[in-house]
Amino acid sequence: MLNCDTYLMPESLGEALRMWSEAPDGSRLIAGATDILPWAREGRAGDVHIPTFVDVTRVAELQGYEIKDGRVRLGANVVYQDFLTDPELGRHLPCMPFCSIWFADDQIREQATLAGNVVNASPAADGTPPVLAMNGTVELARLEGWQTVRRELKLEDFLLGPGKTALQPNEIVTAVTCDSMLGYGGAFEKVGQRRSLVISVVCTAALVKLDRKGERFEDVRMTMGGIGPVPVRLEALEQSLTGQPATPDTIVRAAGSVGDIVNSRSRREYRGTVVKGFIERALENAVQDAQARATNLREVTHA
Amino acid sequence: MPDIQMSLTVNGRKSAKPAKTHQRLLDYLREELNLTGAKEGCGAGECGTCSVFVDGKLVKSCLMPVAKANGSEIETIEGLAGRGDLTPVQKAFHKTGASQCGYCIPGMVMAATSALRENPSADMEEIKERLGGNICRCTGYTKIFEAVEIARDVIAGKLQPTALEPEDLKDSYIGTNVRRLDAPSKVTGRLRYAGDMVMQDMLHMQVLRSPHAHARVVSIDTSDAEAIPGVACVITADDVPGTDGFGVFVHDQPVMARGVVRYVGEAVAAVAAEDVVTAKKALEAIKVTYEELPAVFDPEEAMQPSAPVLHDYAKDNIVKHIPIRKGDIEKGFAEADVIIEETYGTQQVEHAYLEPEAGIAYVDHEDVVTVLSPSQNISHHRHMLADILGLPINKVRFIMSPVGGGFGGKEDMIYQGMLALAAIKTGQPVRLIFTREESIISTAKRHPARITYKMGFKNDGRITAVSFKMISDGGAYGMSTEGVMRKAAILSCGPYDIENVQIDTYGVYTNNTPSGAFRTFGGMQAQFATESHLDIAAERLGLDPFEIRRINMMRDGAITHTKQELGSVSIGRVMDAAETASRWEAGAPTTRGETRGDLGGPDTRAPCTLGARVRNAARTGAQAIEEEVA
Repeated sequence: MLNCDTYLMPESLGEALRMWSEAPDGSRLIAGATDILPWAREGRAGDVHIPTFVDVTRVAELQGYEIKDGRVRLGANVVYQDFLTDPELGRHLPCMPFCSIWFADDQIREQATLAGNVVNASPAADGTPPVLAMNGTVELARLEGWQTVRRELKLEDFLLGPGKTALQPNEIVTAVTCDSMLGYGGAFEKVGQRRSLVISVVCTAALVKLDRKGERFEDVRMTMGGIGPVPVRLEALEQSLTGQPATPDTIVRAAGSVGDIVNSRSRREYRGTVVKGFIERALENAVQDAQARATNLREVTHA
Repeated sequence: MPDIQMSLTVNGRKSAKPAKTHQRLLDYLREELNLTGAKEGCGAGECGTCSVFVDGKLVKSCLMPVAKANGSEIETIEGLAGRGDLTPVQKAFHKTGASQCGYCIPGMVMAATSALRENPSADMEEIKERLGGNICRCTGYTKIFEAVEIARDVIAGKLQPTALEPEDLKDSYIGTNVRRLDAPSKVTGRLRYAGDMVMQDMLHMQVLRSPHAHARVVSIDTSDAEAIPGVACVITADDVPGTDGFGVFVHDQPVMARGVVRYVGEAVAAVAAEDVVTAKKALEAIKVTYEELPAVFDPEEAMQPSAPVLHDYAKDNIVKHIPIRKGDIEKGFAEADVIIEETYGTQQVEHAYLEPEAGIAYVDHEDVVTVLSPSQNISHHRHMLADILGLPINKVRFIMSPVGGGFGGKEDMIYQGMLALAAIKTGQPVRLIFTREESIISTAKRHPARITYKMGFKNDGRITAVSFKMISDGGAYGMSTEGVMRKAAILSCGPYDIENVQIDTYGVYTNNTPSGAFRTFGGMQAQFATESHLDIAAERLGLDPFEIRRINMMRDGAITHTKQELGSVSIGRVMDAAETASRWEAGAPTTRGETRGDLGGPDTRAPCTLGARVRNAARTGAQAIEEEVA
């Protein structure tokens, strides 16, 4: 059972920052709350009493997204379901619809935010590998006296380890910003103990840009989650594929050249096997996605 | 702590009833507004029995703190049709018989409604995906999916509304959609399960459970708990006035631990208080001193003479041994050309009914102690409870509430005794609702079994002798173990006519969670071993798996190894039908390898995939790209 003394729902960022800075020790800032309620149960945290909840879901400044200068700024209240229902987000962040479909279920996705997933900093988070692949940054705000202080950290500087982030006391995540990947094909793969409503054992995000003919890789982005304390970007693999023909042969060769990148405490061998298979599958799916998007484009422009 | 001031609209009606700070939207709807169509199956967002619309979006109300819903428009299952006619989705569920126990059905109807609101032309893959957050334990989903498809087509005008009417019965009920009489109450959420029922002046029970697998209870101090305002009573084994003990066969389990705890999760004490929060607080104030005892977790170890003894009456830890002998197995094995020996293991399984255990007890105006619960065995429970309470049978009454899934798991009287004691002690109605965690930790499971199988065969596949030894983990209490051992022994050799047979099934006490009744009642474990063994034998002897079974199967007039004469035996016809339906490619298992051609045929169900709507969107998303490029 999750209980509290006070449940606050600020409607502006200023109000949220003030409430959060004044909240007693042990208080929690929440958005979707889909993680905290199952946490406060027998076998995990048990019955929990929180002094103050600051629920930011109605903060106006955290709603919606903005696409500007080749970047997509996702307000902290963007929920996973948005990536499935908003075609514009699907085009600019082509791996996110696939990530979302693997994330929980339709009902939980209506509440659960990408920013909340990033802040939880789980090594098995579904949201962090895509954000890493898209050069994601985390935008933060806090009050110092009457002054609102903002800063922006690269995701890799924000995530410090399992459950650990660079978030300071009084600080609120206001946005997650990624490269616009318009024109790329995307993929997301995940394996857990069952098909849906499950935590990843390994997950991967891939994004590929093909040349005009759709034959060669112009750019490749690939990241893995669940294989260590924080998600990993496969930079050597990305570079080795650039300029190469986008064929199954190239992909299989590239996957074979990736060494042991698993840095987990458990199930290392299993994860190693999955990594190789996932590199192949994710890249092939991303290539197919890129080709399908290009075909659509051609059909439409010729129509 | 102060209540939360609420202002929201529920099914079109404004509500300003204050909420408690610990309530989730689910609790608020159920406890404050008495809208019990949304159920709690897991409390962790896994099962979907609690699905409701919040501002038009379907969410799991167990994952939403009530304050989050403040100011919103809520729509629950009760609001879909109101007091009027059923919606097309509800009618379709009624038509196809899509509700069984019914506990998941309000959530399932809500998910189906949401799927068709979000995409009125969703295809089957997308329907499955959109219902992916809702679990049903009874139906196997096929009827549910069929209902959603019919509703979709009726709403879209592709099917006439008459498609929602009952299907004509042709030659057989098999293959025909048959309406269930109780379906309307289930598809509307109006059916009240035990946990949905409320009584005036009702108290709430919480149970203190053992953290140890085997320990002596040195002392229980309930004084601090009893002193907490709002606590009506704390009960322990000392409160039992009659002969303490229940069980389906042997009455070896006390209502609450009596001097010893024998498994993790065993009830030690219980509190009845004016609300659940107070009752939980009181549990923390109960002081129990334990002295840990050596425990045993493996049934074969428990059968050793040096093993810790769980119950004084069974020094060998054996709940039940069922031996069956027929013919002469030594002669049978001597005649065999091939002898095959294997050991098979099956695991503990949880029933996972969507409705966790719940019940209400009260003492009526004639001093009749009444217990209302989804008990699968009320007459037996009534007799046992009368003994436990030391009352004549006419002063004890059991009412069976709708069972939100049982599968054998609700045959044991593991909480009804505590409810009755608290109701007697306080003179007030007392209700207990298990959490999912509590249900898993404390209730019976399927018996894990280890089966040592030895079969003798002639080269032509004829079985000459069978030796079957099954050791089952009965856990800490007897429950249904004796019956399960009997059934396993009866079904041990499958539907095969075997001349020489030696069968031994053992149910053994250990300090694991008790094992009890579960669909097939011991048959599954035995069949798994028998059928696996025959497949192995077919491979070894170079026979087709159907053939080896036909050679050995019972025929009309066969006499089983328990001397039952069978007038008519259907296995031959069943195998013929299975062989045809599966387009079976004849031959020994070794002859096919990867080349077999009978896989993935037209009636095979494809594996579940994800992303139907992403793929559909990719196909139709071109228009927007064009605009962007232009």
